[in-house]
Amino acid sequence: MKIFKSIKWRLQIWYGLILVVVLAGFGITAYQLERNRQFRQVDDELHRRFGVLANALHRPPPRRQDADQQSFDRPPPDQLSNDGPPGRSFRQPTEFHLPEQDAHFFDASDPNNFYFTIITRDGRELGGSTNQPTPIGEPAQETSSYSHPVNHVDQAFSVSKFNGNFPKPNKVTSFGNHRETVEMLPSGEIIVVGCSIAPEFKELQRTAVNLTAIGSLILVVGLVGGWWLVSRAIKPINEISATAVKISAGDLSQRINVAEAESELGQLAAVLNSTFARLESAFAQQKQFASDAAHELRTPVSVILTQTQTSLNRERDAASYKQTVEACQRAAQRMRKLIESLLALARFDAGQEILKRQQFDFSKTISDCAELVSPLSDERGVKISIEAEPVEIIGDSERLAQVVTNLLTNAIQYNNPDGEVRVKLESQNGLAVLTVADTGQGIAAENLPQVFGRFFRADSSRTGAGNSGLGLAITKAIVEAHGGTIEVASEENAGTTFTVRLPISA
Amino acid sequence: MRILIVEDEPDLLASLAQALREEGYAVDTADNGDDGLFNAEGTDYDAIILDVMLPGIDGWEILKRLRKTKKTPVLMLTARDQTRDRVKGLDTGADDYVVKPFDLEEVFARLRAIIRRSANKTTNLIEIGDVKIDTAARNIFLKDKPVEITAREYALVEFLALHRGEVVTRTQLYEHLFDENESSLSNLLDVHVSNVRKKLGAEFIATRRGHGYCIE
Repeated sequence: MKIFKSIKWRLQIWYGLILVVVLAGFGITAYQLERNRQFRQVDDELHRRFGVLANALHRPPPRRQDADQQSFDRPPPDQLSNDGPPGRSFRQPTEFHLPEQDAHFFDASDPNNFYFTIITRDGRELGGSTNQPTPIGEPAQETSSYSHPVNHVDQAFSVSKFNGNFPKPNKVTSFGNHRETVEMLPSGEIIVVGCSIAPEFKELQRTAVNLTAIGSLILVVGLVGGWWLVSRAIKPINEISATAVKISAGDLSQRINVAEAESELGQLAAVLNSTFARLESAFAQQKQFASDAAHELRTPVSVILTQTQTSLNRERDAASYKQTVEACQRAAQRMRKLIESLLALARFDAGQEILKRQQFDFSKTISDCAELVSPLSDERGVKISIEAEPVEIIGDSERLAQVVTNLLTNAIQYNNPDGEVRVKLESQNGLAVLTVADTGQGIAAENLPQVFGRFFRADSSRTGAGNSGLGLAITKAIVEAHGGTIEVASEENAGTTFTVRLPISA
Repeated sequence: MRILIVEDEPDLLASLAQALREEGYAVDTADNGDDGLFNAEGTDYDAIILDVMLPGIDGWEILKRLRKTKKTPVLMLTARDQTRDRVKGLDTGADDYVVKPFDLEEVFARLRAIIRRSANKTTNLIEIGDVKIDTAARNIFLKDKPVEITAREYALVEFLALHRGEVVTRTQLYEHLFDENESSLSNLLDVHVSNVRKKLGAEFIATRRGHGYCIE
């Protein structure tokens, strides 16, 4: 499933779930609290009325005086006759009539109002309101349904005081749509006070609906807000990936737009951008190198093409063919040299060039190299002076000889006629220091940093002179592979000095 | 047609010069920028083949300085085939360019094209009366029959045909038909003119006494 792999969707689902759980928890708690509150309210009312009844039952009723006024409070005649046979030898009243001042507690006009029944110890109904629900009126059920609470209450009341203030009945039960408290007074009467809780249920239902509606609304707002937040948070990621896609498609100049540099993603973007920049420059370098290499190969290939095409245009004598072949050979030699240089550089770049490590006297290498280049120096009328103390170093003698030859050849080629090349080798602080100084035209200061670059030529003229423009780049690669350094200092029209420092015990 | 080649690679220069001479061009050579510029400014070449990378003054600079005084068509030889190099060349005033390594045939064709354009011709075919000159194949037809003609004679006819209606001086003809290495023997030109008249008809080349020659 793609949806479950998307961070956006997973986040959305997760906090959707969490939100649902939290909202459900709150909703249920709120509902419970509301329910409890409503029931407590009902219970309080029940208790109050229980107290009223209990008081009324034991207050000496102002019988005769109030009789006429009380009449309205009397239960209807049919109810009275139902009250059963009077005349038990009891101290208790045989009948109960709700005192007038308490009548408002039990308004029988509405079946949902409070109702009561008072039953004597022997099960006779002493009185009650007219609006009791039917089950109460059935004696058989009556006894069974009330037996338990009565016993229970018995014990409870033995401890509590019943004096003036009403005791707190501790048992309120709900059945169906009704809530009732059933208590036995110490005097033996059982008082049942109840009421319908249908309105409360209705209100609770409304509360539940409200809570659900509010919860759903919060959930929707939360989900929408969350979606917005996640989208916002993910947006930089999308931007990063879009940029990465463009870059992988080849457009290396693309950068991530870092709007929020402070955030974690902003930092990531900055890191990626700097990586991209390095990639781009590495690619540009590589491209430049390849283009330069191709460029270097173009001239010798042109030579071979024009030479052979001209030669083949018509019949020629042997000397002419020989000339052509010689020219082609020169061009091929030049290409071979270039290819060798390129391969050497590529190996040094890849760290694949394996250096032979042996101990040898570097000063001897220098004098050998000087001898090797002497035909060139003689031809140019350049004098080479060597001042080398014997320094034993460990390294690849062939490669280091190449370094010396390259530096000497350069010093001769870029020298003035009748110039001088001074070579010096000495040992300094565990380093073999070789300096090659010429008295040539020097290198312009702005070109100095590129001297060791590939295909750099101080003078674009030297193309044809068998100078590939890679000599110093290779020299530098060899020196650095030996753990050494190479530096150049130059003064225009005065000369150039190359300094090579090699660790003696590398 | 007289051509100047400025190219520093000696083997390339030699073979190019040889090939062009064999095509019937008079060829001068220079192997560095300074000589190249000196020659280009001093002589009315019909075209210059100019390498970009040169010792001394480079190709761009030669072109820039040359354009101040001369409109000689220039074909650049460049080892760089990047667009900006080509644009730079054309913007500086080069008429065309060839990227190394090149085929000789292509160099010849482009050379012919820039010479033709500089003479305001758009096709390789020049018709003068019964004479047709195919400058691409370097053939001449008289009444649709090919005429046997030497390279130097062809060059003479082509040069005069490209400057049809103009009086071309003997000096001009010497400059354009012979390179700097050939001694300008004064009667050599007359020999060529008389040979052409024999082959294409006496009226084909008119002589303007004291001025030079002309194809009407």
